[in-house]
Amino acid sequence: MAGTPAGPPDEPIPLAQRLIDNPFLLLIAGLIVMFVIYTGWGLWEILTLPPATLP
Amino acid sequence: MTAVFRACPVTGRKIDAQAEALIRVNAVVSIVSLLIGAIAAVLLVLTRWQAVHLLPADWFYRLLGVHGMSMLIFFILFFEMAVLIFASTVLLNARQVAPKVGWAAFGLMVVGAVMVEVLMFAGKADVLFTSYPPLKAHPLYYLGIILFAVGALIVVGLFFANLVVAKRERTYEGSVPLVTFGAVTAAIIAVITLLHGAAIYIPAFLWSLGLMNMDAQIYRMVWWGLGHSSQQINVAAMVAIWYMLGGLTVGAVVLNEKVSRVAFVLYILFISMASAHHLLVDPGMGSAWKVVNTSYFMYMAVLASMIHGFTVPAGMELGQRLRGIGTGLFDWLKRAPWGDPGFAALVFSVVLFGFIGGITGVTIGTEQINIIVHNTLRVPGHFHATVVAGTALAFMGATYYLIPLIFRKKVAFWGMARIQPYLFAIGMVIFTMSMTFAGSFGVPRRHWDISFSQAPFDLQFSPAVDLLLALTAIGGLLAATSAFMFIAIAVVSVFFGQPLPDLSGGYPIAGVPLGLTNPPRHAPDVDARNAELHGPKMGWMGPAPGTLALVGVFLAAFIVYFFVNWKVLSFVWKIG
Repeated sequence: MAGTPAGPPDEPIPLAQRLIDNPFLLLIAGLIVMFVIYTGWGLWEILTLPPATLP
Repeated sequence: MTAVFRACPVTGRKIDAQAEALIRVNAVVSIVSLLIGAIAAVLLVLTRWQAVHLLPADWFYRLLGVHGMSMLIFFILFFEMAVLIFASTVLLNARQVAPKVGWAAFGLMVVGAVMVEVLMFAGKADVLFTSYPPLKAHPLYYLGIILFAVGALIVVGLFFANLVVAKRERTYEGSVPLVTFGAVTAAIIAVITLLHGAAIYIPAFLWSLGLMNMDAQIYRMVWWGLGHSSQQINVAAMVAIWYMLGGLTVGAVVLNEKVSRVAFVLYILFISMASAHHLLVDPGMGSAWKVVNTSYFMYMAVLASMIHGFTVPAGMELGQRLRGIGTGLFDWLKRAPWGDPGFAALVFSVVLFGFIGGITGVTIGTEQINIIVHNTLRVPGHFHATVVAGTALAFMGATYYLIPLIFRKKVAFWGMARIQPYLFAIGMVIFTMSMTFAGSFGVPRRHWDISFSQAPFDLQFSPAVDLLLALTAIGGLLAATSAFMFIAIAVVSVFFGQPLPDLSGGYPIAGVPLGLTNPPRHAPDVDARNAELHGPKMGWMGPAPGTLALVGVFLAAFIVYFFVNWKVLSFVWKIG
């Protein structure tokens, strides 16, 4: 299991493979999606909640 | 520090001595945590068994916290640290970067874990696993978790450093192996998880010191970014182990590297937002936030699980067929090495994770259905199927291979090791199914006494509940017995085990999994077989018809369970 060959040496590596091979790019993408869609949006929902009025 | 390597006599890989030592200590502490959690589990199931009702209320809730932290955090994360180090060094023939930092991180994790355990047993942190405010623990409890998380984050950082150095030193060609890519996925989810942990436990620590206020709704939302996402690290690590065990035990092939890697990317992007499942009945969160997080986006992660759930067994089937094993629909499965505990653990992990954990998880994660599920025993019924029957069983299967490969010892009590995954799987099926059905009758989770004795009101559950809770306990005791067997096997193997003998003879040896003594090899005419399997002779079901048939059964079960739940929901909202 010495790695998955990238193909013949003279063949350019496809863009999608280059993106997926970059762990830091994936890390940034994962952080952005979670922190925007779940955490950021969730905080905004809570902080903009109008105060409940007593009956 | 110059790296010192040894050559693995089985796989021929270069193994860095420092990496190997770090893998060992993380694995050992993981097993110790499993022991603590399993003892707590026995006492808990004997309390929820109404006829026994063993513990007093305070110790029930205390040990529930101990069980949660020991199992869901310490056992799992220490093992995952070992997996990350293994995947970034052993699988890449690479060295461990900054091993002294690795040891310091391990030390931080151990100190943090010990602090948490001591405070919980001392009754200074009776706040359950979730520690929802206004429940407040001793400040050192939060500090212990922070130290543990910092240590884990450092190990994850070292994992990425190992990848960079391995690439720079050209220890591998092209893309990293798929198993390592699965570990990359786990590491990224770990970063997401640990940052949420820091974002909530540091304020909780300050709150416990009286230095700031705490908003209960914000706490719940951010905490679940840690609490649920930490279980998604497990999922990614478990799937990576599935691929590894498939290759080791039956010579499984990867059907399509691109598809499997894209499925891992879907995990990276979307699986963490499953945290929102825990807030589906919270009035503070709007429907749009709930639906987007738990349905539209999260279903991409469900798709990823279904991809892995197909490609792993299909790769095993194809691997068997390429070795000339199996002609009919399920002959490849019948003639598989069922006496190899690594293989048995792999199969049960895949099946129980998918059929019980997956189906119940997607169903109860639907916003409308969640209202009849929330805070009932159906929730722990679901996650015990994913985390215990799925992840823990996969980790156990991997351990049977790590003992010879990393510790260079024979697996002790080999006869017991061969039946251990079976007992564990049977116990977990009984446990999770009974728990789920008890939850369907409305039995609450995290509850010491459902007879509500001394309560100012009267509530009677269906008499069937008593039977289901008894079955839950019996299933739990079976699984716990199997866990103790596993712990005994692991401890005796590692500390008192016989050295690994020469494996080059090519014959089975008691105490060594078959995948190491007789590594699965393709038949000499593998190319012809491959062409035949992908040719018109196989018909519309393709090269893995057995797996396709099993997928049909899975989807049928999924559809039935999902729509039965909508029907049950309709009983709650009667019209007319």
